[in-house]
Amino acid sequence: MKARHTQAWIVWLVAAAVLALSTRNPLYLILLLLLARLVAVVCGRQDAGFSLPLLKLGLVIMSFATLLNALFVPIGSVILFTLPDWPLIGGAVTLEAAVYGAINGLVLWTLLVIFAAINQIVPTADLVRLTPRALRDLGVVILIAVTYVPETIQQVQRIREAQAIRGNRLTHWRDWRSVLTPLLIGGLERAMVLAEAMVARGYGATADTEQPWQVRLLLLLALGLSFGGWVWSFWVGWPGWVLLVLGLLLVAVWLWQAGHQVKVTRYRPQPWTKWDVGLIGTAVIPLLFLFLPWFDRSSLFYTPYPSLTIPPLDLLFAVALLCLAYPAIIVVRSS
Amino acid sequence: MNRLLSVTIYAASILVGIATFAYPFVLAPNAEMVDQQTLAPLLTMVLLLLCLAVLLIEVQGQTINARMVAALGVLVSITAVLRFIETAVPAPGGFSPIFAPLILAGYVFGARFGFLMGVLTLLVSALITGGVGPWLPYQMFVAGWVGLTAGWLPRLQRPRLELGLLLLFGVVWGLLFGFIINLYSWPFLMGPAATSWQPDAGWQEGASRYLAYYAATSLLWDLVRSLGNVALLLLLGTPAIRALTRFRQRFEFQVVA
Repeated sequence: MKARHTQAWIVWLVAAAVLALSTRNPLYLILLLLLARLVAVVCGRQDAGFSLPLLKLGLVIMSFATLLNALFVPIGSVILFTLPDWPLIGGAVTLEAAVYGAINGLVLWTLLVIFAAINQIVPTADLVRLTPRALRDLGVVILIAVTYVPETIQQVQRIREAQAIRGNRLTHWRDWRSVLTPLLIGGLERAMVLAEAMVARGYGATADTEQPWQVRLLLLLALGLSFGGWVWSFWVGWPGWVLLVLGLLLVAVWLWQAGHQVKVTRYRPQPWTKWDVGLIGTAVIPLLFLFLPWFDRSSLFYTPYPSLTIPPLDLLFAVALLCLAYPAIIVVRSS
Repeated sequence: MNRLLSVTIYAASILVGIATFAYPFVLAPNAEMVDQQTLAPLLTMVLLLLCLAVLLIEVQGQTINARMVAALGVLVSITAVLRFIETAVPAPGGFSPIFAPLILAGYVFGARFGFLMGVLTLLVSALITGGVGPWLPYQMFVAGWVGLTAGWLPRLQRPRLELGLLLLFGVVWGLLFGFIINLYSWPFLMGPAATSWQPDAGWQEGASRYLAYYAATSLLWDLVRSLGNVALLLLLGTPAIRALTRFRQRFEFQVVA
Protein backbone atom coordinates (compact mmCIF):
# COMPACT_ATOMS: atom_id res chain seq x y z
CA MET A 1 0.00 0.00 0.00
CA LYS A 2 1.15 3.48 -0.73
CA ALA A 3 0.37 7.00 0.40
CA ARG A 4 -0.91 8.88 -2.63
CA HIS A 5 -2.55 12.09 -1.66
CA THR A 6 -0.64 15.08 -3.01
CA GLN A 7 -1.39 17.29 -0.03
CA ALA A 8 -0.06 14.65 2.36
CA TRP A 9 3.20 14.57 0.39
CA ILE A 10 3.37 18.36 0.50
CA VAL A 11 3.19 18.21 4.31
CA TRP A 12 6.10 15.72 4.24
CA LEU A 13 8.03 18.05 1.92
CA VAL A 14 7.46 21.13 4.07
CA ALA A 15 8.42 19.25 7.24
CA ALA A 16 11.64 17.92 5.73
CA ALA A 17 12.60 21.27 4.18
CA VAL A 18 11.92 23.21 7.38
CA LEU A 19 14.04 20.72 9.35
CA ALA A 20 16.88 20.98 6.83
CA LEU A 21 16.76 24.77 6.98
CA SER A 22 16.68 25.02 10.75
CA THR A 23 19.66 22.89 11.68
CA ARG A 24 23.35 23.24 10.98
CA ASN A 25 24.33 20.04 12.68
CA PRO A 26 25.97 17.86 9.99
CA LEU A 27 24.83 14.63 11.66
CA TYR A 28 21.16 15.56 11.39
CA LEU A 29 21.67 16.87 7.86
CA ILE A 30 23.27 13.64 6.66
CA LEU A 31 20.48 11.67 8.30
CA LEU A 32 17.86 13.83 6.56
CA LEU A 33 19.62 13.48 3.22
CA LEU A 34 19.77 9.70 3.46
CA LEU A 35 16.13 9.47 4.55
CA ALA A 36 14.96 11.66 1.66
CA ARG A 37 16.94 9.60 -0.82
CA LEU A 38 15.56 6.36 0.65
CA VAL A 39 11.98 7.62 0.34
CA ALA A 40 12.61 8.79 -3.24
CA VAL A 41 14.07 5.46 -4.31
CA VAL A 42 11.38 3.35 -2.65
CA CYS A 43 8.29 5.47 -3.39
CA GLY A 44 9.36 7.18 -6.64
CA ARG A 45 7.81 6.42 -9.98
CA GLN A 46 9.88 4.20 -12.24
CA ASP A 47 9.00 6.30 -15.29
CA ALA A 48 9.89 9.64 -13.74
CA GLY A 49 11.93 10.40 -16.86
CA PHE A 50 14.14 13.41 -16.36
CA SER A 51 16.15 13.22 -13.16
CA LEU A 52 18.97 15.30 -11.77
CA PRO A 53 22.47 13.85 -11.27
CA LEU A 54 22.17 14.32 -7.51
CA LEU A 55 25.52 12.91 -6.44
CA LYS A 56 27.50 14.97 -8.93
CA LEU A 57 25.52 18.13 -8.19
CA GLY A 58 25.93 17.62 -4.46
CA LEU A 59 29.70 17.21 -4.71
CA VAL A 60 29.95 20.35 -6.85
CA ILE A 61 27.84 22.35 -4.39
CA MET A 62 29.79 21.10 -1.36
CA SER A 63 33.23 21.79 -2.82
CA PHE A 64 32.11 25.20 -4.09
CA ALA A 65 30.72 26.19 -0.69
CA THR A 66 33.79 24.87 1.16
CA LEU A 67 36.20 26.74 -1.07
CA LEU A 68 34.17 29.93 -0.93
CA ASN A 69 33.88 30.08 2.85
CA ALA A 70 37.49 29.04 3.42
CA LEU A 71 38.76 31.80 1.14
CA PHE A 72 36.44 34.55 2.34
CA VAL A 73 36.54 33.96 6.10
CA PRO A 74 39.82 34.20 8.01
CA ILE A 75 38.29 33.14 11.36
CA GLY A 76 39.21 29.99 13.28
CA SER A 77 42.04 28.52 15.29
CA VAL A 78 43.57 25.81 13.07
CA ILE A 79 45.32 27.62 10.21
CA LEU A 80 45.86 25.44 7.15
CA PHE A 81 47.91 27.95 5.16
CA THR A 82 48.11 31.70 4.71
CA LEU A 83 47.41 33.70 1.58
CA PRO A 84 48.63 37.24 0.92
CA ASP A 85 46.22 39.90 2.14
CA TRP A 86 44.09 40.66 -0.86
CA PRO A 87 41.03 42.78 -0.17
CA LEU A 88 38.10 40.68 1.11
CA ILE A 89 39.61 37.29 0.33
CA GLY A 90 42.99 36.14 1.52
CA GLY A 91 44.61 36.01 4.91
CA ALA A 92 44.51 32.85 6.93
CA VAL A 93 42.66 29.86 5.50
CA THR A 94 41.35 27.90 8.45
CA LEU A 95 39.99 24.42 8.93
CA GLU A 96 36.97 25.79 10.80
CA ALA A 97 35.96 28.05 7.93
CA ALA A 98 36.28 25.15 5.48
CA VAL A 99 34.10 22.94 7.68
CA TYR A 100 31.56 25.71 8.04
CA GLY A 101 31.44 26.09 4.26
CA ALA A 102 31.01 22.35 3.83
CA ILE A 103 28.03 22.43 6.22
CA ASN A 104 26.47 25.25 4.20
CA GLY A 105 26.89 23.13 1.08
CA LEU A 106 25.38 20.17 2.88
CA VAL A 107 22.26 22.20 3.72
CA LEU A 108 21.79 23.05 0.05
CA TRP A 109 22.45 19.48 -1.05
CA THR A 110 19.92 18.14 1.46
CA LEU A 111 17.30 20.58 0.21
CA LEU A 112 18.03 19.53 -3.35
CA VAL A 113 17.57 15.85 -2.50
CA ILE A 114 14.34 16.52 -0.60
CA PHE A 115 12.78 18.44 -3.48
CA ALA A 116 14.06 15.91 -5.99
CA ALA A 117 12.24 13.23 -4.00
CA ILE A 118 8.93 15.09 -4.35
CA ASN A 119 9.56 15.63 -8.06
CA GLN A 120 10.10 11.93 -8.44
CA ILE A 121 7.14 10.80 -6.34
CA VAL A 122 4.28 13.17 -7.20
CA PRO A 123 3.18 13.26 -10.87
CA THR A 124 3.24 16.65 -12.60
CA ALA A 125 -0.52 16.64 -13.16
CA ASP A 126 -1.09 16.26 -9.43
CA LEU A 127 1.22 19.17 -8.67
CA VAL A 128 -0.76 21.36 -11.09
CA ARG A 129 -3.90 20.51 -9.13
CA LEU A 130 -2.50 22.31 -6.11
CA THR A 131 -3.26 25.69 -7.72
CA PRO A 132 -5.71 27.42 -5.35
CA ARG A 133 -9.23 27.37 -6.70
CA ALA A 134 -9.48 31.15 -6.35
CA LEU A 135 -6.69 31.40 -8.95
CA ARG A 136 -8.46 29.00 -11.31
CA ASP A 137 -7.69 30.97 -14.48
CA LEU A 138 -3.99 30.69 -13.78
CA GLY A 139 -4.56 27.00 -13.11
CA VAL A 140 -6.06 26.70 -16.59
CA VAL A 141 -3.03 28.46 -18.09
CA ILE A 142 -0.64 26.09 -16.31
CA LEU A 143 -2.70 23.10 -17.40
CA ILE A 144 -2.69 24.25 -21.04
CA ALA A 145 1.05 24.87 -20.92
CA VAL A 146 1.87 21.48 -19.41
CA THR A 147 -0.51 19.66 -21.77
CA TYR A 148 0.89 21.35 -24.86
CA VAL A 149 4.53 20.53 -24.10
CA PRO A 150 4.64 17.18 -25.95
CA GLU A 151 2.77 18.70 -28.86
CA THR A 152 5.18 21.64 -29.02
CA ILE A 153 8.12 19.24 -29.15
CA GLN A 154 6.44 17.37 -32.02
CA GLN A 155 5.81 20.69 -33.72
CA VAL A 156 9.53 21.53 -33.54
CA GLN A 157 10.37 18.19 -35.14
CA ARG A 158 7.77 18.68 -37.87
CA ILE A 159 9.11 22.13 -38.74
CA ARG A 160 12.68 20.83 -38.79
CA GLU A 161 11.65 18.05 -41.18
CA ALA A 162 9.86 20.53 -43.40
CA GLN A 163 12.98 22.69 -43.47
CA ALA A 164 15.16 19.68 -44.18
CA ILE A 165 13.00 18.81 -47.20
CA ARG A 166 13.60 22.34 -48.44
CA GLY A 167 17.33 21.76 -48.13
CA ASN A 168 17.83 23.85 -44.99
CA ARG A 169 20.42 22.04 -42.89
CA LEU A 170 20.29 24.36 -39.88
CA THR A 171 24.04 24.57 -39.67
CA HIS A 172 24.34 28.28 -39.00
CA TRP A 173 22.67 29.71 -35.90
CA ARG A 174 20.81 32.16 -38.11
CA ASP A 175 19.03 29.26 -39.79
CA TRP A 176 17.12 28.62 -36.58
CA ARG A 177 14.98 31.64 -37.36
CA SER A 178 13.20 29.47 -39.93
CA VAL A 179 12.28 27.04 -37.14
CA LEU A 180 11.45 29.44 -34.33
CA THR A 181 9.27 31.87 -36.30
CA PRO A 182 6.88 29.20 -37.63
CA LEU A 183 6.82 27.66 -34.16
CA LEU A 184 5.67 30.97 -32.68
CA ILE A 185 3.09 31.74 -35.37
CA GLY A 186 1.80 28.17 -35.40
CA GLY A 187 1.53 28.25 -31.61
CA LEU A 188 -0.48 31.48 -31.63
CA GLU A 189 -2.71 30.06 -34.34
CA ARG A 190 -3.30 26.99 -32.16
CA ALA A 191 -4.10 29.27 -29.26
CA MET A 192 -6.86 30.87 -31.32
CA VAL A 193 -8.36 27.46 -32.12
CA LEU A 194 -8.06 26.40 -28.50
CA ALA A 195 -9.77 29.57 -27.30
CA GLU A 196 -12.68 29.01 -29.70
CA ALA A 197 -12.96 25.45 -28.42
CA MET A 198 -12.92 26.62 -24.81
CA VAL A 199 -15.62 29.22 -25.42
CA ALA A 200 -17.72 26.66 -27.31
CA ARG A 201 -17.54 24.42 -24.26
CA GLY A 202 -18.68 27.09 -21.89
CA TYR A 203 -15.52 28.86 -20.75
CA GLY A 204 -16.35 32.56 -20.60
CA ALA A 205 -15.31 34.41 -23.74
CA THR A 206 -14.61 37.33 -21.48
CA ALA A 207 -15.05 37.44 -17.75
CA ASP A 208 -14.84 40.43 -15.51
CA THR A 209 -13.21 38.91 -12.48
CA GLU A 210 -12.07 42.09 -10.84
CA GLN A 211 -11.97 41.82 -7.08
CA PRO A 212 -14.07 44.31 -5.11
CA TRP A 213 -12.05 47.03 -3.41
CA GLN A 214 -12.67 45.59 0.05
CA VAL A 215 -10.88 42.39 -0.91
CA ARG A 216 -7.95 44.25 -2.40
CA LEU A 217 -7.69 46.42 0.68
CA LEU A 218 -7.67 43.26 2.77
CA LEU A 219 -4.86 41.78 0.68
CA LEU A 220 -2.88 44.99 0.93
CA LEU A 221 -3.41 44.95 4.68
CA ALA A 222 -2.22 41.34 4.87
CA LEU A 223 0.89 42.18 2.88
CA GLY A 224 1.62 45.18 5.10
CA LEU A 225 1.01 43.15 8.23
CA SER A 226 3.35 40.36 7.30
CA PHE A 227 6.01 42.75 6.02
CA GLY A 228 5.84 44.57 9.34
CA GLY A 229 6.06 41.25 11.15
CA TRP A 230 9.05 40.19 9.09
CA VAL A 231 10.91 43.43 9.82
CA TRP A 232 9.93 43.19 13.46
CA SER A 233 11.19 39.64 13.87
CA PHE A 234 14.61 40.68 12.57
CA TRP A 235 15.08 43.86 14.53
CA VAL A 236 13.05 43.53 17.67
CA GLY A 237 12.09 40.00 18.48
CA TRP A 238 9.53 37.34 18.89
CA PRO A 239 6.11 38.95 18.36
CA GLY A 240 7.18 39.58 14.78
CA TRP A 241 6.52 36.14 13.44
CA VAL A 242 3.04 36.20 14.96
CA LEU A 243 2.22 39.15 12.68
CA LEU A 244 3.79 37.32 9.75
CA VAL A 245 1.65 34.26 10.38
CA LEU A 246 -1.41 36.48 10.84
CA GLY A 247 -0.87 38.06 7.42
CA LEU A 248 -0.35 34.63 5.91
CA LEU A 249 -3.54 33.32 7.51
CA LEU A 250 -5.49 36.31 6.20
CA VAL A 251 -4.49 35.53 2.62
CA ALA A 252 -4.94 31.78 3.09
CA VAL A 253 -8.43 32.18 4.55
CA TRP A 254 -9.43 34.52 1.75
CA LEU A 255 -8.09 32.12 -0.89
CA TRP A 256 -9.99 29.26 0.73
CA GLN A 257 -13.19 31.24 1.07
CA ALA A 258 -13.04 32.69 -2.45
CA GLY A 259 -12.23 29.24 -3.77
CA HIS A 260 -15.40 27.83 -2.27
CA GLN A 261 -17.53 30.37 -4.09
CA VAL A 262 -16.63 28.90 -7.45
CA LYS A 263 -17.86 25.50 -8.44
CA VAL A 264 -15.34 23.33 -10.24
CA THR A 265 -15.38 19.73 -11.27
CA ARG A 266 -12.61 17.35 -10.38
CA TYR A 267 -11.54 14.52 -12.61
CA ARG A 268 -10.31 11.36 -10.87
CA PRO A 269 -10.64 12.50 -7.26
CA GLN A 270 -7.94 11.40 -4.84
CA PRO A 271 -9.37 9.66 -1.79
CA TRP A 272 -7.78 10.17 1.62
CA THR A 273 -6.55 6.86 2.97
CA LYS A 274 -5.20 5.91 6.39
CA TRP A 275 -1.74 5.87 4.82
CA ASP A 276 -2.06 9.55 3.95
CA VAL A 277 -3.12 10.38 7.49
CA GLY A 278 -0.14 8.36 8.75
CA LEU A 279 2.16 10.25 6.40
CA ILE A 280 1.03 13.60 7.76
CA GLY A 281 1.18 12.42 11.36
CA THR A 282 4.71 11.08 11.12
CA ALA A 283 5.94 14.15 9.23
CA VAL A 284 4.69 16.44 11.98
CA ILE A 285 6.44 14.55 14.84
CA PRO A 286 9.98 15.89 14.24
CA LEU A 287 8.54 19.39 13.77
CA LEU A 288 7.16 19.25 17.31
CA PHE A 289 10.73 19.20 18.58
CA LEU A 290 11.38 22.37 16.69
CA PHE A 291 8.41 24.36 17.86
CA LEU A 292 7.36 23.04 21.29
CA PRO A 293 9.25 24.81 24.05
CA TRP A 294 10.02 21.84 26.34
CA PHE A 295 12.55 20.08 24.15
CA ASP A 296 16.25 20.79 24.26
CA ARG A 297 17.12 22.26 20.88
CA SER A 298 20.74 23.16 21.55
CA SER A 299 22.05 20.24 19.46
CA LEU A 300 20.47 21.84 16.36
CA PHE A 301 22.66 24.91 16.43
CA TYR A 302 26.09 23.43 15.90
CA THR A 303 28.90 25.71 14.79
CA PRO A 304 32.57 24.83 14.19
CA TYR A 305 33.70 28.26 15.40
CA PRO A 306 35.84 29.17 17.30
CA SER A 307 37.45 25.71 17.24
CA LEU A 308 36.29 22.42 15.82
CA THR A 309 34.27 20.11 18.10
CA ILE A 310 32.37 16.90 17.51
CA PRO A 311 28.73 17.76 16.72
CA PRO A 312 26.36 16.79 19.53
CA LEU A 313 23.71 14.16 18.86
CA ASP A 314 20.36 14.17 20.62
CA LEU A 315 19.14 10.57 20.28
CA LEU A 316 15.50 11.50 20.87
CA PHE A 317 15.59 14.01 18.02
CA ALA A 318 17.38 11.56 15.72
CA VAL A 319 14.64 9.00 16.36
CA ALA A 320 12.02 11.67 15.66
CA LEU A 321 13.74 12.37 12.33
CA LEU A 322 13.49 8.68 11.45
CA CYS A 323 9.69 9.13 11.36
CA LEU A 324 10.17 10.79 7.96
CA ALA A 325 10.99 7.35 6.54
CA TYR A 326 7.41 6.18 7.20
CA PRO A 327 6.28 6.25 3.52
CA ALA A 328 9.23 4.05 2.53
CA ILE A 329 8.56 1.62 5.38
CA ILE A 330 4.91 1.04 4.46
CA VAL A 331 5.82 0.42 0.82
CA VAL A 332 8.52 -2.10 1.75
CA ARG A 333 6.27 -3.86 4.28
CA SER A 334 3.37 -4.28 1.87
CA SER A 335 5.41 -5.73 -0.98
CA MET B 1 -10.24 54.46 -6.22
CA ASN B 2 -9.75 51.13 -7.98
CA ARG B 3 -6.87 52.47 -9.98
CA LEU B 4 -5.22 53.87 -6.88
CA LEU B 5 -5.58 50.54 -5.07
CA SER B 6 -4.16 48.70 -8.04
CA VAL B 7 -1.12 50.97 -8.25
CA THR B 8 -0.62 50.68 -4.48
CA ILE B 9 -0.68 46.86 -4.62
CA TYR B 10 1.80 46.77 -7.49
CA ALA B 11 4.11 49.26 -5.75
CA ALA B 12 3.84 47.57 -2.35
CA SER B 13 4.55 44.12 -3.73
CA ILE B 14 7.54 45.33 -5.70
CA LEU B 15 8.93 47.14 -2.64
CA VAL B 16 8.42 44.11 -0.41
CA GLY B 17 10.01 41.97 -3.11
CA ILE B 18 13.07 44.19 -3.22
CA ALA B 19 13.27 44.10 0.58
CA THR B 20 13.21 40.29 0.61
CA PHE B 21 16.16 40.21 -1.74
CA ALA B 22 18.14 43.03 -0.16
CA TYR B 23 17.71 42.14 3.51
CA PRO B 24 21.23 40.72 3.96
CA PHE B 25 22.58 44.25 3.44
CA VAL B 26 20.63 45.87 6.21
CA LEU B 27 19.93 43.08 8.65
CA ALA B 28 21.00 44.01 12.16
CA PRO B 29 19.40 41.53 14.53
CA ASN B 30 19.85 41.62 18.27
CA ALA B 31 22.32 39.30 19.89
CA GLU B 32 19.93 36.84 21.51
CA MET B 33 18.50 35.73 18.20
CA VAL B 34 21.18 33.44 16.86
CA ASP B 35 18.63 30.79 16.00
CA GLN B 36 16.45 33.46 14.46
CA GLN B 37 19.23 34.10 11.97
CA THR B 38 19.10 30.50 10.87
CA LEU B 39 15.41 31.00 10.33
CA ALA B 40 15.90 34.27 8.41
CA PRO B 41 15.85 32.65 4.93
CA LEU B 42 12.78 30.65 5.91
CA LEU B 43 10.82 33.69 7.13
CA THR B 44 11.89 35.60 4.05
CA MET B 45 10.68 32.85 1.74
CA VAL B 46 7.28 32.88 3.47
CA LEU B 47 7.03 36.63 2.93
CA LEU B 48 8.08 36.30 -0.71
CA LEU B 49 5.45 33.63 -1.38
CA LEU B 50 2.80 35.81 0.21
CA CYS B 51 3.90 38.77 -1.89
CA LEU B 52 3.74 36.66 -5.04
CA ALA B 53 0.26 35.41 -4.14
CA VAL B 54 -1.10 38.93 -3.54
CA LEU B 55 0.33 40.17 -6.83
CA LEU B 56 -1.05 37.15 -8.70
CA ILE B 57 -4.52 37.70 -7.24
CA GLU B 58 -4.39 41.35 -8.26
CA VAL B 59 -3.11 40.59 -11.76
CA GLN B 60 -5.61 37.80 -12.34
CA GLY B 61 -8.41 39.91 -10.90
CA GLN B 62 -8.56 42.13 -13.92
CA THR B 63 -10.45 41.31 -17.04
CA ILE B 64 -9.26 38.06 -18.46
CA ASN B 65 -10.57 36.32 -21.55
CA ALA B 66 -10.40 32.91 -23.10
CA ARG B 67 -8.08 33.99 -25.91
CA MET B 68 -5.60 35.56 -23.52
CA VAL B 69 -5.66 32.42 -21.37
CA ALA B 70 -5.06 30.22 -24.40
CA ALA B 71 -2.32 32.47 -25.80
CA LEU B 72 -0.59 32.65 -22.45
CA GLY B 73 -0.75 28.89 -22.06
CA VAL B 74 0.68 28.19 -25.50
CA LEU B 75 3.43 30.81 -25.22
CA VAL B 76 4.44 29.50 -21.79
CA SER B 77 4.53 26.02 -23.26
CA ILE B 78 6.79 27.06 -26.15
CA THR B 79 9.16 28.92 -23.84
CA ALA B 80 9.24 26.03 -21.38
CA VAL B 81 10.16 23.67 -24.23
CA LEU B 82 13.00 26.02 -25.16
CA ARG B 83 14.17 25.80 -21.56
CA PHE B 84 13.85 22.03 -21.69
CA ILE B 85 16.36 22.07 -24.53
CA GLU B 86 18.59 24.22 -22.32
CA THR B 87 18.67 21.65 -19.50
CA ALA B 88 19.02 18.69 -21.86
CA VAL B 89 21.86 20.16 -23.93
CA PRO B 90 24.42 21.88 -21.73
CA ALA B 91 24.73 25.37 -23.18
CA PRO B 92 27.71 27.54 -22.25
CA GLY B 93 27.51 29.51 -19.02
CA GLY B 94 24.29 31.09 -17.87
CA PHE B 95 22.70 31.09 -21.31
CA SER B 96 18.97 30.65 -21.04
CA PRO B 97 16.55 30.91 -23.95
CA ILE B 98 13.60 31.98 -21.81
CA PHE B 99 14.39 35.67 -21.59
CA ALA B 100 14.02 36.68 -25.24
CA PRO B 101 10.45 35.33 -25.59
CA LEU B 102 9.59 36.81 -22.21
CA ILE B 103 10.85 40.26 -23.15
CA LEU B 104 9.13 40.18 -26.54
CA ALA B 105 5.78 39.03 -25.14
CA GLY B 106 5.90 41.56 -22.32
CA TYR B 107 6.81 44.31 -24.74
CA VAL B 108 3.96 43.59 -27.16
CA PHE B 109 1.20 42.36 -24.83
CA GLY B 110 1.91 44.63 -21.89
CA ALA B 111 3.18 44.49 -18.32
CA ARG B 112 0.45 42.29 -16.88
CA PHE B 113 0.82 39.62 -19.56
CA GLY B 114 4.61 39.82 -19.25
CA PHE B 115 4.49 39.35 -15.50
CA LEU B 116 2.21 36.34 -15.73
CA MET B 117 4.29 34.83 -18.49
CA GLY B 118 7.50 35.23 -16.49
CA VAL B 119 6.05 33.67 -13.37
CA LEU B 120 4.30 30.81 -15.14
CA THR B 121 7.15 29.99 -17.53
CA LEU B 122 9.50 29.35 -14.65
CA LEU B 123 6.85 27.37 -12.79
CA VAL B 124 5.91 25.17 -15.76
CA SER B 125 9.46 24.50 -16.85
CA ALA B 126 10.33 23.54 -13.26
CA LEU B 127 7.34 21.19 -13.23
CA ILE B 128 8.28 19.43 -16.45
CA THR B 129 12.01 19.15 -15.79
CA GLY B 130 11.67 18.20 -12.13
CA GLY B 131 13.31 21.42 -10.99
CA VAL B 132 10.93 22.40 -8.22
CA GLY B 133 12.94 23.64 -5.27
CA PRO B 134 13.30 26.39 -2.70
CA TRP B 135 14.86 28.63 -5.36
CA LEU B 136 11.71 28.48 -7.49
CA PRO B 137 9.71 31.34 -5.87
CA TYR B 138 12.70 33.65 -6.25
CA GLN B 139 13.20 32.75 -9.89
CA MET B 140 9.48 33.14 -10.58
CA PHE B 141 9.40 36.53 -8.98
CA VAL B 142 12.43 37.92 -10.83
CA ALA B 143 11.32 36.46 -14.17
CA GLY B 144 7.97 38.13 -13.50
CA TRP B 145 9.79 41.42 -13.08
CA VAL B 146 11.53 40.92 -16.42
CA GLY B 147 8.18 40.58 -18.19
CA LEU B 148 6.60 43.36 -16.14
CA THR B 149 9.30 45.91 -16.92
CA ALA B 150 9.35 44.89 -20.58
CA GLY B 151 5.74 46.02 -20.71
CA TRP B 152 6.75 49.43 -19.40
CA LEU B 153 9.16 50.11 -22.25
CA PRO B 154 8.11 52.98 -24.53
CA ARG B 155 6.64 52.05 -27.91
CA LEU B 156 9.04 53.22 -30.59
CA GLN B 157 7.88 53.63 -34.16
CA ARG B 158 11.17 52.96 -35.94
CA PRO B 159 11.88 49.18 -36.04
CA ARG B 160 15.64 49.60 -35.79
CA LEU B 161 15.42 51.76 -32.70
CA GLU B 162 12.87 49.38 -31.22
CA LEU B 163 15.16 46.38 -31.66
CA GLY B 164 18.07 48.37 -30.24
CA LEU B 165 16.07 49.20 -27.14
CA LEU B 166 15.10 45.56 -26.63
CA LEU B 167 18.72 44.44 -27.09
CA LEU B 168 19.86 46.88 -24.43
CA PHE B 169 17.05 45.68 -22.18
CA GLY B 170 18.14 42.08 -22.74
CA VAL B 171 21.73 42.86 -21.80
CA VAL B 172 20.71 44.73 -18.65
CA TRP B 173 18.33 42.02 -17.45
CA GLY B 174 20.80 39.27 -18.31
CA LEU B 175 23.20 40.73 -15.76
CA LEU B 176 20.56 41.95 -13.30
CA PHE B 177 18.85 38.56 -13.13
CA GLY B 178 22.02 36.90 -11.91
CA PHE B 179 22.75 39.77 -9.56
CA ILE B 180 19.35 39.52 -7.88
CA ILE B 181 19.08 35.72 -7.85
CA ASN B 182 22.51 35.34 -6.27
CA LEU B 183 21.37 37.52 -3.40
CA TYR B 184 19.07 34.69 -2.44
CA SER B 185 21.77 32.04 -2.24
CA TRP B 186 24.34 34.35 -0.70
CA PRO B 187 23.27 34.06 2.95
CA PHE B 188 22.74 30.32 2.38
CA LEU B 189 26.18 29.69 1.00
CA MET B 190 27.98 31.98 3.35
CA GLY B 191 25.98 31.05 6.39
CA PRO B 192 24.55 33.35 8.97
CA ALA B 193 27.21 33.78 11.62
CA ALA B 194 30.56 35.50 11.55
CA THR B 195 31.13 35.04 7.84
CA SER B 196 31.31 37.27 4.83
CA TRP B 197 27.59 37.80 5.11
CA GLN B 198 27.97 39.75 8.27
CA PRO B 199 24.59 40.80 9.49
CA ASP B 200 25.85 43.74 11.48
CA ALA B 201 28.45 44.91 9.02
CA GLY B 202 26.47 47.88 7.73
CA TRP B 203 25.22 48.07 4.18
CA GLN B 204 28.34 49.56 2.54
CA GLU B 205 30.49 46.78 3.92
CA GLY B 206 27.87 44.22 2.91
CA ALA B 207 27.50 45.70 -0.57
CA SER B 208 31.24 45.67 -1.28
CA ARG B 209 31.49 42.10 -0.04
CA TYR B 210 28.60 41.10 -2.22
CA LEU B 211 30.10 42.81 -5.25
CA ALA B 212 33.32 40.89 -4.75
CA TYR B 213 31.37 37.67 -4.36
CA TYR B 214 29.32 38.42 -7.45
CA ALA B 215 32.32 39.36 -9.59
CA ALA B 216 34.20 36.26 -8.51
CA THR B 217 31.43 33.71 -8.92
CA SER B 218 28.79 34.89 -11.31
CA LEU B 219 29.78 37.81 -13.54
CA LEU B 220 31.19 35.73 -16.37
CA TRP B 221 28.24 33.38 -16.24
CA ASP B 222 25.81 36.30 -16.48
CA LEU B 223 27.70 37.91 -19.35
CA VAL B 224 27.11 34.75 -21.36
CA ARG B 225 23.42 35.03 -20.55
CA SER B 226 23.39 38.64 -21.74
CA LEU B 227 25.10 37.70 -24.99
CA GLY B 228 22.64 34.85 -25.44
CA ASN B 229 19.76 37.29 -25.02
CA VAL B 230 21.27 39.57 -27.66
CA ALA B 231 21.72 36.69 -30.09
CA LEU B 232 18.19 35.40 -29.61
CA LEU B 233 16.64 38.85 -29.82
CA LEU B 234 18.58 39.58 -33.00
CA LEU B 235 17.40 36.29 -34.40
CA LEU B 236 13.77 36.49 -33.33
CA GLY B 237 13.08 40.12 -32.50
CA THR B 238 11.72 41.62 -35.70
CA PRO B 239 9.60 38.69 -36.94
CA ALA B 240 8.31 37.93 -33.44
CA ILE B 241 7.22 41.52 -32.79
CA ARG B 242 5.41 41.53 -36.13
CA ALA B 243 3.63 38.24 -35.42
CA LEU B 244 2.72 39.10 -31.83
CA THR B 245 1.39 42.53 -32.79
CA ARG B 246 -0.82 41.01 -35.46
CA PHE B 247 -2.24 38.51 -32.99
CA ARG B 248 -2.67 41.10 -30.26
CA GLN B 249 -5.44 42.73 -32.26
CA ARG B 250 -7.19 39.41 -32.58
CA PHE B 251 -6.83 38.54 -28.91
CA GLU B 252 -8.12 41.68 -27.31
CA PHE B 253 -11.61 42.19 -26.04
CA GLN B 254 -13.06 45.23 -24.46
CA VAL B 255 -15.89 44.88 -21.99
CA VAL B 256 -18.38 47.65 -22.74
CA ALA B 257 -20.46 48.25 -19.66
